[in-house]
Amino acid sequence: MSSATRLYLSNDTSARAAGAGLLADAWADRPDVQLIRLSSRGAFFLEPMVERDSPDGRLAWCNVQPEDLPSILAGTGGTPVRSIPFLANQTRFTFADFGETEPLALDEYQARGGLKGLEQAFRLTPDAIVEELRVSQLRGRGGAAFPVWNKWKVAQQAKGRPKSVVANADEGDAGTYCDRMILEGDPFRLLEGMLICARAIGASRGYVYCRQEYPAAAVTLRAAIQKADEAELLDIDGEPFPIEVVEGAGSYVCGEETALLESLEGKRGVVRARPPYPAQAGLYGQPTIVSNVLTFATIPQILSRGGAWHASLGTEQSRGTIALQLGGRVKHPGLVEVPFGLSLRQVLEQFGGGMAPGSRFKAVQVGGPLGSLFPAAGLELPICYDAFAKAGAVLGHGGIVVYDHETDMVDLARHFMAFTADESCGKCTPCRIGSVRGREILERIQAGGGTLEDLALLDDLGETMKLASLCALGGRAPYPVLTAIEHFPVEFRSKLRT
Amino acid sequence: MHELVEKILRQVRSGPPNILKALLALQQQVGHVPVEAIPDIAHNLGTTNAHIAGVLSYYPDLRVAAPGRHVIRVCMGESCYANGCGRVLRVLQDSLRTDVGETTSGGKFTLDTMSCAGNCAVSPTVLIDRDLYGRVLPSQVETMLGRYR
Repeated sequence: MSSATRLYLSNDTSARAAGAGLLADAWADRPDVQLIRLSSRGAFFLEPMVERDSPDGRLAWCNVQPEDLPSILAGTGGTPVRSIPFLANQTRFTFADFGETEPLALDEYQARGGLKGLEQAFRLTPDAIVEELRVSQLRGRGGAAFPVWNKWKVAQQAKGRPKSVVANADEGDAGTYCDRMILEGDPFRLLEGMLICARAIGASRGYVYCRQEYPAAAVTLRAAIQKADEAELLDIDGEPFPIEVVEGAGSYVCGEETALLESLEGKRGVVRARPPYPAQAGLYGQPTIVSNVLTFATIPQILSRGGAWHASLGTEQSRGTIALQLGGRVKHPGLVEVPFGLSLRQVLEQFGGGMAPGSRFKAVQVGGPLGSLFPAAGLELPICYDAFAKAGAVLGHGGIVVYDHETDMVDLARHFMAFTADESCGKCTPCRIGSVRGREILERIQAGGGTLEDLALLDDLGETMKLASLCALGGRAPYPVLTAIEHFPVEFRSKLRT
Repeated sequence: MHELVEKILRQVRSGPPNILKALLALQQQVGHVPVEAIPDIAHNLGTTNAHIAGVLSYYPDLRVAAPGRHVIRVCMGESCYANGCGRVLRVLQDSLRTDVGETTSGGKFTLDTMSCAGNCAVSPTVLIDRDLYGRVLPSQVETMLGRYR
């Protein structure tokens, strides 16, 4: 009998883009290798990472090339996974099983505690489920950070039928990828969260609005839904709860909940004025919970471990853990799940490993393309909702992008405004026209034709957009631009016409 | 075209007519959504030409013209920006002698950008058809293109 060695390799999109696909192709015909494709641990700077079992737990070989196979098979040169500081120093709950499990193995999901939250939800009354969430103090992880229980209470009490549960998988904030990791790596966790929500509010249908840029996620999710259906999980109190994956078509603003609903109805993904909120009148005018993928994925453990457990983590106003996604010029880009409260500096140094070789720190942006920029002096800020709000910033969806000394801040500011001008849905004037004017002013400054009045005009325009835009796209767009000017004024002034 | 539109739309028909789903289904099978097909689509879905044209022009991924045989998309997200996607894009523009949003003469490649591929931890990112490339260096662009030339 041949004794093929079991090797573990991630099938995550970013792991494949880093070379995991190449390894799988190179080793496909090896009779001495049994390749198991898993979710990714999120230590992307080490991908492609190959692991094998050992008496000390998994051993890992990092940044592997096809020709490294002999040493892996011989078992030489591997590092115990539990001794990798990037992973060992995290406090993982939602992402605890990443890198350990096969995404579509429902039995494995269950063996590691999956579906316990749903079982608990079936033992509780809908009111008691909402109460558990109130105790947990979970806030939406998509960016708006609204208390989840509050939204569920409104939908629960709303009269309209049918009610819907919509998972927002339109993770468009550049610098974020934790939802993609969940969709591709642990889809049952998302489905379990959606089912708990459906049970709490009395919903009869579910949707996952998945961005077109995530084709692998949609495929995995559809397969997971089919498996869940075969296991008769898509059933709430004897009533079917079908879940459909609907793909977007490249519009950033469709990540905003009301634009998402318009798009789900097949229309232009244009923002609706709120109120009414989707929990009152959402999809086709009926009560709808729209929540981000990570939010749903956090809920099963809140039910199985209890709301008080969740509330015991983090800080006063920010309970639980946050999934930070490091990118840009850090040495160790990847996913970091930690309780709220660490400072930006701690995260960038302890997990980010400092700057990439040859790079010097210039600025860090937190919260995607609408997030504020911080210079080195801003790094003591603790990562939690209240401290960020006090600093006029947002955590958004937890994306952290580091820029180095080569970054031209004027061009970066232009890049942000051009993004908003491209992506504005056009419904409200401050965003539709403001973003175009903002981009024009920044182009003028970049070309050397700007004046001091242009900087004042940007400030004025920014205040108008902040106050008068319908949604966060227009309302937040000025922040990266104005914080760039605030912290790097010399760069802007040096380009002005004299 | 009449029959083709009707046949494809019949496959996606659901409760309330869903314009985006219909257009995506057409694009998947035809490669793009020709503007001339708008009246047929509107008729099939029981809505107006304006509604169809509105949705068609709104979404960046819906195309009214056939793209090149290979579609190259360079990610312009912030992590890619910080890691030099601008240089990668310039090398591609020079090598293909084409600009963003355009197709090379001969119809082999369409060059485009995207706002984020969610591949930020191994940026910069280039997507060619369904193949995603991470940590792309400007010096690797020629070899990468070679696989599709």
